[in-house]
Amino acid sequence: MALLESQVDRTTPRGAAPRGRAVARTSARRLWIDRLARWVVTAGGLAIIASILGILVFILIEVLPLTRPARVEVGRSLPIDRPVEAILVDEYQTHAAVLGPGGTIRVLRLEDGAVVADTALLAAAAQHPASPTGAAPTPATLVAANAPPGGEAIVAATSDGRFLGQTVDWRVEFDADQKRSVHAELPQPVEIELDPERRPLRTFAGQLRGPESVAAAAQLADGSVAVVRRSTTENAFTGEVETSEERLRYPAVPELTTLLIDGEQRNLFGGTASGELYWWRLDRGESSPPETLSAGSSAITAMTFLIGDRSLVVGQQSGAISVWFPVRDPGDEEFRLRRIRDLPAHDAAIVELEPSKRNRTFLAKDAGGTLALYFSTSERTLWKGRSPVGEATAAVISPKGDGAFLASPDRLAFVAIDNPHPETSWRALFGSVWYEGYEEPDQVWQSTGGTDDFEAKLSLTPLIFGTLKGTFYSLVIAIPLAILGAMFASQFLHPKLLAVIKPTVEIMAALPSVVLGFLAGLWLAPLLERVFPALLLCFLVLPFLVWAAGVAWSRVPRRLRGRFPAGAEIFLYLVVVTLGLGLCLEVGPAFERLAFGGTFQSWLYDSTGMRYDQRNAVVVGLAMGFAVIPIIFAITEDAFSNVPRNLVAGSLALGANRWQTVTRVVLPTASPGIFSAVMIGFGRAVGETMIVLMATGNTPIMDWSPFNGFRTLSANIAVEIPEAPFGGTLYRTLFLAALLLFVLTFLVNTAAELVRQRLRRKYAQL
Amino acid sequence: MRADPGQRQRDFLGMSMTALCGGALALNLLLILGLLLLIGYQGARYFWQKDLVLIERADAPPLLGEIHAREPVPAAGDAGEPAHRLQLRVGNRDLTGGDFVWVDEAAISGHRSPADAVLIERLEWGPFYGRMVELRRGDEVLAAGGDETWRAFAPLHRIKLAERAAIRELEKGEIGEINHAIEKLRLAQRRLELDDPPPAERARRAAELEAALAARQAEFDEAAARLFAMRDRLEAERLVLEAADGARKEIPVGSVVRALRPNEMDTLAKLGLYGSRVWEFVADDPRESNTEGGIFPAIFGTVMMVFLMSFAVVPLGVLAAIYLREYAKQGPLVRMVNIAVNNLAGVPSIVFGVFGLGFFVYTIGGTIDQLFYPEALPTPTYGTGGILWAALTLALLTVPVVIVATEEGLAAVPGIVRAGSLALGATKWETTWKVVVPAAAPGILTGVILAMARAAGEVAPLMIVGMVKLAPTLPIDGNFPFVHFERKFMHLGFHIYDVGFQSPNVDATKPLVFATALLLIVVVTGMNLVAIAIRNHLRRKYAGSAV
Repeated sequence: MALLESQVDRTTPRGAAPRGRAVARTSARRLWIDRLARWVVTAGGLAIIASILGILVFILIEVLPLTRPARVEVGRSLPIDRPVEAILVDEYQTHAAVLGPGGTIRVLRLEDGAVVADTALLAAAAQHPASPTGAAPTPATLVAANAPPGGEAIVAATSDGRFLGQTVDWRVEFDADQKRSVHAELPQPVEIELDPERRPLRTFAGQLRGPESVAAAAQLADGSVAVVRRSTTENAFTGEVETSEERLRYPAVPELTTLLIDGEQRNLFGGTASGELYWWRLDRGESSPPETLSAGSSAITAMTFLIGDRSLVVGQQSGAISVWFPVRDPGDEEFRLRRIRDLPAHDAAIVELEPSKRNRTFLAKDAGGTLALYFSTSERTLWKGRSPVGEATAAVISPKGDGAFLASPDRLAFVAIDNPHPETSWRALFGSVWYEGYEEPDQVWQSTGGTDDFEAKLSLTPLIFGTLKGTFYSLVIAIPLAILGAMFASQFLHPKLLAVIKPTVEIMAALPSVVLGFLAGLWLAPLLERVFPALLLCFLVLPFLVWAAGVAWSRVPRRLRGRFPAGAEIFLYLVVVTLGLGLCLEVGPAFERLAFGGTFQSWLYDSTGMRYDQRNAVVVGLAMGFAVIPIIFAITEDAFSNVPRNLVAGSLALGANRWQTVTRVVLPTASPGIFSAVMIGFGRAVGETMIVLMATGNTPIMDWSPFNGFRTLSANIAVEIPEAPFGGTLYRTLFLAALLLFVLTFLVNTAAELVRQRLRRKYAQL
Repeated sequence: MRADPGQRQRDFLGMSMTALCGGALALNLLLILGLLLLIGYQGARYFWQKDLVLIERADAPPLLGEIHAREPVPAAGDAGEPAHRLQLRVGNRDLTGGDFVWVDEAAISGHRSPADAVLIERLEWGPFYGRMVELRRGDEVLAAGGDETWRAFAPLHRIKLAERAAIRELEKGEIGEINHAIEKLRLAQRRLELDDPPPAERARRAAELEAALAARQAEFDEAAARLFAMRDRLEAERLVLEAADGARKEIPVGSVVRALRPNEMDTLAKLGLYGSRVWEFVADDPRESNTEGGIFPAIFGTVMMVFLMSFAVVPLGVLAAIYLREYAKQGPLVRMVNIAVNNLAGVPSIVFGVFGLGFFVYTIGGTIDQLFYPEALPTPTYGTGGILWAALTLALLTVPVVIVATEEGLAAVPGIVRAGSLALGATKWETTWKVVVPAAAPGILTGVILAMARAAGEVAPLMIVGMVKLAPTLPIDGNFPFVHFERKFMHLGFHIYDVGFQSPNVDATKPLVFATALLLIVVVTGMNLVAIAIRNHLRRKYAGSAV
């Protein structure tokens, strides 16, 4: 036939014009149609094959941006006439509020550098009452200023022991034509007297979160640390405004180089020139000493909080950058500050650390003029390069995280940041990460949280684990049932019976998985919770009953047995299995009392500490096993049936019995087929979505226990992708999960297919 | 042979192992049969009306309802005969807050089946179990007492059903059309703003639109006024009911779906009721957030989506198979492509869903929206899940099935048939199209049916490219352009997931889900059986003729 076809091919007019001969009568139109058809079929066929490849390519293209580093471009810069000590910008990067040396806050329009508003911070708060000592008031100056992380405010410390704070409210308005305009509003500045003796403040820290929450701290000239916490609450009913103020004074510590207070007014951190870190817990009062830790011998030169004020980033003289946060100590339930991770060290001292208000990105600048962008959770260096300004006096990341401003004494430089997916790295996706609030590094999937400062936890490991766990339990159930059943069906069953039984099992494959999932979740799970011991009993009782039935059948006189087609005992087994199941259910409660002394669940909890969840891996295993059985069954049965008859006949002729023939001749010959059947069943179980979605609790935990749930890659996609913003990190991470599934199943299926083809060739030779 | 004890031992072992294999097969069969029976029984039972029982309790008010389940009381470590309890469906959710109550059998002092107990299926609040008290129109009592009310109720109810149908007709027909027209005019206004034509033109067209809108609005107001009048008339007569514990409830006759006295019905009447409920189930819209009523929109959505998918998948799959089998040069490349196609069938369906969402919905749909529907933005038209994208996604998912089946069909056509056709002077295309493909038609049909069955049962990819729990409108209606490919739709499989798992009242909806599952299984396995039958027929037909 192959020969014939090749001849046919050669005689086919391959688009050539008819030249004489018999085909000359074929009209040009018909040949033209033939050519067109060939072209269309080929193009269409190739297009479809290409589109299949296209699926993989498209998914890959959606995933790839995850690996892209941030793009940072140095943009325009604005000349300024006096140095800037602190800077804030609005969300749309149209205006900047800068603090100049004289204590004046100016609002600049970034388009042209025009000053649209200004206020003298020092002057506005200068009405300082005469000092109690009666000394003549000397004009105060600012000794330091900064824009604290996480707020929209500029704070400053004065030479006469005061703390000044100015909030900047950006008002965004849209006019009738949807044109946007931004105005800065500068409310009354806040003033707090930190040093009653009016000495110049040394290192200081402050936080203004709206008008109702102000905190300030400073190291005074005598080395002691003064803290003022002020909060204003408005009574919702009476409208009465109540201000509470608390003053704390901590004993002297060595000279601090940096000081930082959080927005909750709970924690005060200080760093010293010898690399010591101090942590004052303000809620515990003055008597509680600070916790002291060493960050190495190098001086601490910069500190900041990442969004949420829990992670503390510490930069040092040596160029080291480390992230710290309090971790609950499992021993005494006490929070202790821990050094969580180190980012690649710079060559020169870190002089500036600026956090993003969007995520855990931060900007670091060293004394050598190197600028770098890091992401804490994923430990990624997003970008590293030269700073556009040599000597930066202040820096800020814009509120949307899409740009940064760096101020030098004469210029305000803008860099554009395109940083779409900082959260992912190899370690964040597959390894252990120490997340804020966790006791140790862990692999966690928790993509969304309730707050803006939520730290996305995008580890795929628990999901891969869940996928493998579900697959494992379903294969444990499916493989023995399917292979043994297929063995019986192909080797011991009369063809007439097989013609009925095989399609019956194959119909199982056609059952929509949503139906199986529904049954598993709403029928099987509650049932199993009640009768789990009966299921255990089944494993013991059913094989025994079937074996007994088989023995009984073999004792039936051959004359009587001969009247039934081969394998008719299957109906006997069917009855026995049904009765056995009924028996197990009937004696289940008694067995439960006897074997577990009460309920199985409480026994399980008491003896192993495992909890029994209603929707657990056993339920999934049974339901998904049910879905996988027909696939393995069909392929295994084919492999068995196709073993050449002469091998079987030879073995039987040599005196082996049926079972010996099956196990020593048929099974080894067909084993590659069985392997590929298992592989294809594996592929099906890995990708199954609806059953696991409906029959597990979908909790992404990592625990092999058969009595709790899990979350698989596929169910995770189904649950989360409808809510994932298009093009976001979560969206792409879910595409990565899909890619993993695609590649995994494709590889497994290809392997299975190749094995099958080789097997087919082998059979052909035998 | 018999004399060898070793051989006898081995024979016995072989026999035992064979029995175990047989047991495994028997268990497989039992699983599938048991599952089909379970769903069949549970699904079919949903429509059957049981008798109502009045349960009297010593220390609590009596309960009226249907016995739903009976189970042993979970009492830990309690030896001896376990006590049982009954789960009663008592309805009256508006009065008691729940549909079901558990009653310990020990607490029951007596039960009977009162003949005048009625079951009222309502549009809202689920079923009501109780007695009829009276029928009134305003303050006028039309009928009083159980039996008299029962007799007077039926004719009145028929009138009210007709009125309700008329209201529905008005809402769906006329008002729906007006709404559609108003929506279109609004979009046209928006479009005008976006187009930004010269001021004079703009003012003229704006005025035109304004006038059209005003006219439509007037029509709408008029229709709405009529609708309100009809609604008032529908609710004029009220039925006063009394629950078993004596609580009274007044409901408009117009909101009654069905009023029954199950205890007076004979088997024939119950069978009639059964049929009517089955019809309601397949032909009506859902009520009470999908927990009652029918599933017609889900059936419609599934069927339409499957057919749309077939229109896409059949030409593509057949074309690819013809190319691979008839035109491509057979070699390692085609073998690889064949393996790839085969394996694509094994790629998880959710992956196709992800692809469909990213490619069809966001990329293609988003582009279409920007080019053709800018006036509706930011509300997406095609840039969100819809029936077209769902169908295309499933077409990709099922194209391997069609390719493989078609290839099998083409391969079964003997080469001698091709040679004969070519020898008679037919071109390659003529041979393929007029001789080979018709001969392979059953194979192609098998593939198509299998693909449709797969598509009908597939849920995971559809969850993310176009299904919703409740679609307000069908993808086909009387408004131009009649077929709305961008609309979201309901699907039987998703209905099972949604009603079974997202519903607040799982006990009450489980029977409905079983019925839906039964319907889905009947459709899917039916299609598969047909495909298997065709395949077997095909194999027999060509088994002899293959060269």
